[in-house]
Amino acid sequence: MADTETAPAAAPRAIHMQRENFSFTGTVREYFGIWIVNVLLTIVTLGIYSAWAKVRRQRYFYGNTHLAGATFDYHARPKQILIGRILVVVLLVAYNLLATFAPLASLLFAVAFLFVLPWLVMRGMRFSARVTSYRNVRFDFTGGYWGAFRAYILGTALAYGTLGILLPLASRWMWTYTLGNLRYGDRPITSDPRLGKLYGQWWLPAFMIVGTLLAIFVWLTVVGYAMNDQLNQIDLQNAAPPLHLIFLLYIVLIPLGILFAVASLFYQAGTRNVALNATIIDGRHVMASSIGRRRYAWISITNLIATLATLGFARPWAAIRMASYLATVTALDTTGSLDEYVGTVRDEGGAFGSEYMDLEGFDLGF
Amino acid sequence: MASEARPPLSAEGQWRPPAVGRAKAASLTISQDATVVAADRDSGAVLASAPFASLTISDRVGSIPRTVTFPDGSVFETSDNDTIDNMVRPRGKRHFGFVHGLEKFHPRLILFAALVVAFCFVLYRFAVPVLVEVAVAVTPPVVPKLLSQGALVSLDQTFFEETKLSIERQKALSDQFAAMAKLTLRGSAAPASPEDAPAYTLNFRAGGTIGPNAFALPDGTVVLTDELVELADDDEMVLAVLAHEIGHVERQHSLRQLYRAAGVTALIMLIGGDIGSGTGDILVQGSALASLSYSRGAEAEADRYSVELMHKVGHDPAAIARFFELLRDKLGDTGKNDFLSSHPATPERIEETRRYAEEISNPGK
Repeated sequence: MADTETAPAAAPRAIHMQRENFSFTGTVREYFGIWIVNVLLTIVTLGIYSAWAKVRRQRYFYGNTHLAGATFDYHARPKQILIGRILVVVLLVAYNLLATFAPLASLLFAVAFLFVLPWLVMRGMRFSARVTSYRNVRFDFTGGYWGAFRAYILGTALAYGTLGILLPLASRWMWTYTLGNLRYGDRPITSDPRLGKLYGQWWLPAFMIVGTLLAIFVWLTVVGYAMNDQLNQIDLQNAAPPLHLIFLLYIVLIPLGILFAVASLFYQAGTRNVALNATIIDGRHVMASSIGRRRYAWISITNLIATLATLGFARPWAAIRMASYLATVTALDTTGSLDEYVGTVRDEGGAFGSEYMDLEGFDLGF
Repeated sequence: MASEARPPLSAEGQWRPPAVGRAKAASLTISQDATVVAADRDSGAVLASAPFASLTISDRVGSIPRTVTFPDGSVFETSDNDTIDNMVRPRGKRHFGFVHGLEKFHPRLILFAALVVAFCFVLYRFAVPVLVEVAVAVTPPVVPKLLSQGALVSLDQTFFEETKLSIERQKALSDQFAAMAKLTLRGSAAPASPEDAPAYTLNFRAGGTIGPNAFALPDGTVVLTDELVELADDDEMVLAVLAHEIGHVERQHSLRQLYRAAGVTALIMLIGGDIGSGTGDILVQGSALASLSYSRGAEAEADRYSVELMHKVGHDPAAIARFFELLRDKLGDTGKNDFLSSHPATPERIEETRRYAEEISNPGK
């Protein structure tokens, strides 16, 4: 998995490389209590506790993630998170009010927002990195505005504009921005996933989607042709919403939705492997990721189904299950010791950007 | 564990200098005068020492390692959570570890789960509707006015064109509309001063791609497209549709729907962080479906209002039902244009309006 030959700064030869596996030790038994108290207190305090809840949740997951005999830690203070959240909520409310009262002006704001978004991403990434530590040494993030603009605005536009054909290019920009701008202590982290390898993860999901769309198109044409007369009669006779038509529509839409989900999960898993395997810490420790894409898709989808079927109560189990899986398929190939690093970060900045990303469901990609 | 043996409280762990990765095996002890000392486990050399009050001790979460941070920035880390708790508890911080106590695996958690379900149900079923009513009640009249102006301006710029109805036709409809509007709550309550705009104004537009349609903005601006006038068999049908639209304004449906959507979204956001993004998305979709059923209810209410108002003015109360039948017969309920998809001419709707019109014309029965 570890492509040492692709490492830009070749590690000194004859150095012993040792694999350190990530592991996750959180349990459903413990996390269920944390989770239910988080939800309960958040409701009782009308949302204010959500900042404390986030810190407890993050600390639980970071603190249970082990690498080479040490754990990660999350240092954000609840009040920082709360202030960030309040700012984001005020902004969202203001924007929605504007959209209701002055739809045309809000369109202009939406365009202007495209230029603010990279700044929010940049600040959010920086905050998240700076409140994360491993062995008492904090991470940092040095990405700038234009990198975020390219990765999130230009990349997204290109990916949609070309119907997904340039999606791997957008992924490459996104991963080099998020991972390649990280620093651990005073040492840089680089990430340079090759475009060819990203395309290697792209063609299967792409074929899945194109193939199904074709199949559905053919099916609809055939069925539509066969039922044409019947359809007209239904409409004229009783004017009721023809239930079986809606049913037929769902028969098509639900598998299509699932297929889209599976294809995008395959792509996510594959690109995570490619990106992490091309990520090098301090020019000598190489990340290694070996997600099985079918397993990943299976876990994601069964997690969602279980959570919905239990009205949310299976969520702690689902979250622990995913975290454990991701830890077991992630490793670090180390050359030399991991404890000789020194931190430089003191100030974390505001949590506004990170809370925006959090509330809007952005994936940080860690 | 060591709670009985008072003086030698000691936790084993690791100590790291400020922002340095390399750790030393160390033990943490607290003396009678509340001085906390981290000492090298092998040599016993003091690594850091500070009064208890100056330390930052991380909260207990599950069984993850705890950190004790000294004022100089050096950190002692240990998995011996109980000993840390025993050091902290007698020293004033009574609520320390309260949340962790709640979170422990215990039958009490079942009660919490039940409470969460109950709270969510109560919030959705009662608190949101009550808050919506309160919000509607305190909304100053300028808000619906602002809401409407923006909407009509943008619709004029995007879809509508100048009406092609003759002046006489417009006047005839406007007069009958005004007579009807006078009998509404808002119409009768409006101050009589002539410089004030009437509570309801009727606007004619050519519908363009919107086609046959009529709608009301929350400030009482009612818009009627030429296509709908042409579609109707007689003026009573047009008036019935207008009465339906007046009904939406009288009952403040658009404001209610706006507040309701905001309330439900806020509710989902409230618990959103802890239910996973996939579940959150599906909940948002679900709430959109729920608001669809809410708008069905609003339509039915406006239908009844049309029947009542038409009866009051002395028109045929069943005109709205006749209009639905016309829609059904002329266009088929294909749901192809906007008016039809938000106003489906379902058999139930026709039946219900017919029944209500019957009931209102023969109250004795």
